[in-house]
Amino acid sequence: MKPIDARFDLEAIFRAQYERMARVIASVVRDPGRAEELAVEVFLKLWRNRQAQEGNIEGWLYRAAVRVGLDELRRQTRQSRYERLLGFVRGVPTPEEIHVATEEQDRIHRVLNSVAPRQAELLVLRSHGLTYSEVAFALDLHPASVGTLLGRAQQAFRKEYVKRYGEA
Amino acid sequence: MEKHSEIEVSRWVEERLAAIRPPADWQPDTIIGLARLRKRRGGESGRGRGRIWATAAATAICLGLMVFPAPRAAAQRFCMACLMAAQNLAAGGATRLALKPERSRQRAPDFTLNDAAGKSVQLSGFKGKVVLLNFWATWCGGCRIEIPWLIEFQQTYGDRGLVVLGVSLDAEGWQVVKPFISDKKITYRVMIGTDEMAARYGADQSLPVSLLIDKSGRIAATHVGLPGKNEYRAEIESLLSTKMAASGAD
Repeated sequence: MKPIDARFDLEAIFRAQYERMARVIASVVRDPGRAEELAVEVFLKLWRNRQAQEGNIEGWLYRAAVRVGLDELRRQTRQSRYERLLGFVRGVPTPEEIHVATEEQDRIHRVLNSVAPRQAELLVLRSHGLTYSEVAFALDLHPASVGTLLGRAQQAFRKEYVKRYGEA
Repeated sequence: MEKHSEIEVSRWVEERLAAIRPPADWQPDTIIGLARLRKRRGGESGRGRGRIWATAAATAICLGLMVFPAPRAAAQRFCMACLMAAQNLAAGGATRLALKPERSRQRAPDFTLNDAAGKSVQLSGFKGKVVLLNFWATWCGGCRIEIPWLIEFQQTYGDRGLVVLGVSLDAEGWQVVKPFISDKKITYRVMIGTDEMAARYGADQSLPVSLLIDKSGRIAATHVGLPGKNEYRAEIESLLSTKMAASGAD
């Protein structure tokens, strides 16, 4: 993962990276339309952050995207919990939501929500095919420790999944 | 829980997580995303107008203070600073020259390409002129913004020795570039570049990329992305007013 450019050009970076960042967010946010909105927010954050513009931009974007996605997942989970508590009947889900929200995906989202945020970030980025060194760049980790941390994150994920839903 | 090997756990988790990856046929819409980004950026740039008003208010206060003899000198200095700051903000930010010192300038790699009329254009043939070499493409948003500036610069400074050259990196070539030239009424010379040439000028990563080449054929400034119009203008004026180096090059 190389720094994208010597001088900062937001639109060029956007064209090159938007799709990847939107996909990372869409893997944890149920509504793809919302994922696209949040991806734009990530690039606006980059635009406002001069320090980020001078470093490894792609790594920064991945980190920001996975954090924004997981924050939104937590917010959605809190909201649906309150709605259940209040007996609030949600409006008719959109066709996209029906398509996306399969039972297995909901389970995985709940488990990602339960493990430590750092572990969830590691798991999501790795599931998008990032190499160890790319994950290390994105999450400010020592490349040599990524394997160990990822192993722990996977153990934690499996333990939580099995505790909730049994061996599948 | 049953003890599992690390590899088994890793595979098991990867299989689970594969289920949340968006389907391969889902394509986030970059054009809509870019429009959203521009709208939000435009909204936030409105803060600049607030700063202009704040600077104007500070100037007015200083002018009021100048009525009194004691703080007059300090108020006068502050007032001038405010006026200069307001001028800079109104012009879109401070004008900074990105010109390299003459000693550290490198000779621009030479090239020969045909323009839209089929005439040969050789960079080394423009010695004694200031060349603004602009790498662009029809699909590039930043390029579309600066093209009217480049037309204006060619008209304004052409007589004083400025030559604007556009090198399009459109993969479709003249088929898309020629209609674009007539649509945008581009009056400066446009050529079609190659990837290899773009790489030699550092224009293979993003667009637009513009280089200002001094009268001796050396690269005086490189702009990756969209620079300010005032920045361009100040650099052109500075290069036009500088005499050609005695040695001619390097």
